[in-house]
Amino acid sequence: MRRSERIAIVAAGVVTPIGRGVDAFWSSLVTGTSGISPIERFPVSDLRVRRGGEIKKIPRIKDWGRVPECRATRLLCSAADELCSEAGSRPLPGNPDRVAVVLGTALGGVEEGEKALAGKRLQRLRGALYDSPTQNLARWLGARGPAITVSTACASGATAIGVGADLLRQGRADAVVAGGYDILCRFVMRGFDALRSLTREEIRPFDRRRSGLLLGEAAALVLLRRETDAGTRRLGSLLGHGSASDGWHIAAPEPDGRGLERSIRTAMEEAGIEPRDVDFVSAHGTATPLNDRIETAVLKRVLGPRALAIPVNSIKPALGHTMGAAAVLEGIMCLLASRHGQIPPTLNLEEPDPDCDLDYVPGGARAARPTISLSTSLGFGGCNATLVLEGGTG
Amino acid sequence: MRAPVLRALGLLTAWGRGAGALPVDALTAAEGRGVLSMGRPSYEGDRFRRVPRECVLGIAAVDAMLEDARAGRAEIAGERTALLYASAVGYAASNRIFIERGNAGAYFPYTAPASVPAEVAIEFGLRGPYGIFIGGPPATLQAIWWAATLLEARQCDRALVLAVEIFEECADLFAVGARLTGHPLVEAAGAVWLEPGEGTLALESHRGGARPDPGGIRQRLGETFACEPLAVWDLWRGGGAGGSLCLGGGWRGETVRLLWTGAAARVEASTS
Repeated sequence: MRRSERIAIVAAGVVTPIGRGVDAFWSSLVTGTSGISPIERFPVSDLRVRRGGEIKKIPRIKDWGRVPECRATRLLCSAADELCSEAGSRPLPGNPDRVAVVLGTALGGVEEGEKALAGKRLQRLRGALYDSPTQNLARWLGARGPAITVSTACASGATAIGVGADLLRQGRADAVVAGGYDILCRFVMRGFDALRSLTREEIRPFDRRRSGLLLGEAAALVLLRRETDAGTRRLGSLLGHGSASDGWHIAAPEPDGRGLERSIRTAMEEAGIEPRDVDFVSAHGTATPLNDRIETAVLKRVLGPRALAIPVNSIKPALGHTMGAAAVLEGIMCLLASRHGQIPPTLNLEEPDPDCDLDYVPGGARAARPTISLSTSLGFGGCNATLVLEGGTG
Repeated sequence: MRAPVLRALGLLTAWGRGAGALPVDALTAAEGRGVLSMGRPSYEGDRFRRVPRECVLGIAAVDAMLEDARAGRAEIAGERTALLYASAVGYAASNRIFIERGNAGAYFPYTAPASVPAEVAIEFGLRGPYGIFIGGPPATLQAIWWAATLLEARQCDRALVLAVEIFEECADLFAVGARLTGHPLVEAAGAVWLEPGEGTLALESHRGGARPDPGGIRQRLGETFACEPLAVWDLWRGGGAGGSLCLGGGWRGETVRLLWTGAAARVEASTS
């Protein structure tokens, strides 16, 4: 039995390394386009790994001059421009006091902090606060409702959608622009480089040769409304959300994936679905040796035989790990798979790992029209989050 | 929404432990200092050697909360305890160290806000629902609101809301902001233990107007950003804890209020 009111996902907007706009994003995913390239925007010569999912040019929008220089804000406003076009107008229709913005990020405006400290331009430090891009986007949108920033590392985007849905369920807003973002900058490249989490090879989720991830940058937004306010045209619905902490290690997932398992079970319970209802899983699929094995084991534990019968993919080889944006992009991908009747492939999966024995959609896109999908996310600090999504009618 | 009830509250500030340690006037008590530091609580064990100060303060706040509840760590361990964390700038010190030291020595995962609740979850074995809210007092109020939604949805039996703010490592950077607020920056860490209650809780927010200063709290406490609502709560319960409770706060043009009505915030223990 469903425990939570379903929430309509009315529109979306994205800026990614494989294209700006939902249509370009989708066509690149199904054709197997990779957005991984040498990083050009900042110095990387001292780093072990110098590639990532870098957006070479942020598409300009109409009133570009009014958007703050901060790259994260520019990505967000560019994505929001598409979302507003889909929704019909900017400001969004309705009372602006009832429009909320909820964003997830692992890094916030940290690049502004780097620049301020390097150049001693301390007036930029305000932009380094992790909630600055959220405030900037709310201002650009003309949204005067709650402006909330969440930062559960690489699960941030899923947390933002969950919090946004609860604002609607509790009547605290009539529309919520929810999503996630993060940018590539020296700060994050140096950090992951030092951790040796980045691969010098291709990103190969679930492949026995997998050796780590590459980072990417993106902004991804969805417009959430209560079902009764949403009209008939929509991308889909959020049926449930769950989160859980590992309480295990600062930088490694709990080896049995119990936290991930709890987040999936909570999300399914909230959605009122059983394993037999799940048609597709968008895995976190980072291509680290531990993550992919844990996710596989957890999916088999939670879904039972159903895990072996349904497609599971990871789109991170195409984009890099876009951190705060990842869960939102993956959620949008699930809804587009329902709309278009295709599952994007897991790129670079050529030699399956015997410990990873699910159907990961290797090779090319698969003809299938999932109705209900799970999207899983794991983050540093033991953050786990899961979304249950249903394809729509739009 | 069904309101949560306060089981316990632990508050540590640079003034001391609990609301009872607050001076009458922070500016006078600061004696010209712009930043008042809490130092580093002492915890033994190799695990704490590399743990940043803000994380250790988070752990100390939860220990203070447990002491207030007269409860052991086992009472909050496990899957049925949610952990919600709030901070405006608690991550700034670690980020600065990482940016300025280059590749040497700094431990990157600790630079994200996620490190504080992660260390707390590891230390106390918390494995329930999880959220991290960034901003000033409204972030803490939003975390309390989300804790109430999780409790109402029965996703947990208890929820801890934790807030930590430190300033010492970035005192030079924060100096301008401190002058603007007119209050000294006072380091603080607080944690509340919430359980399902009987009353109702309403969340309100609006933009514009002056930043609220509930009960003149900043004159007594100084500037503690996300920790401010927890200090107000501690003062409220110390003052008799009857009737309705309203926690409010502002940040970057947004004002948020949480209003308890009915059987509001029952107090089972007090450190004040």
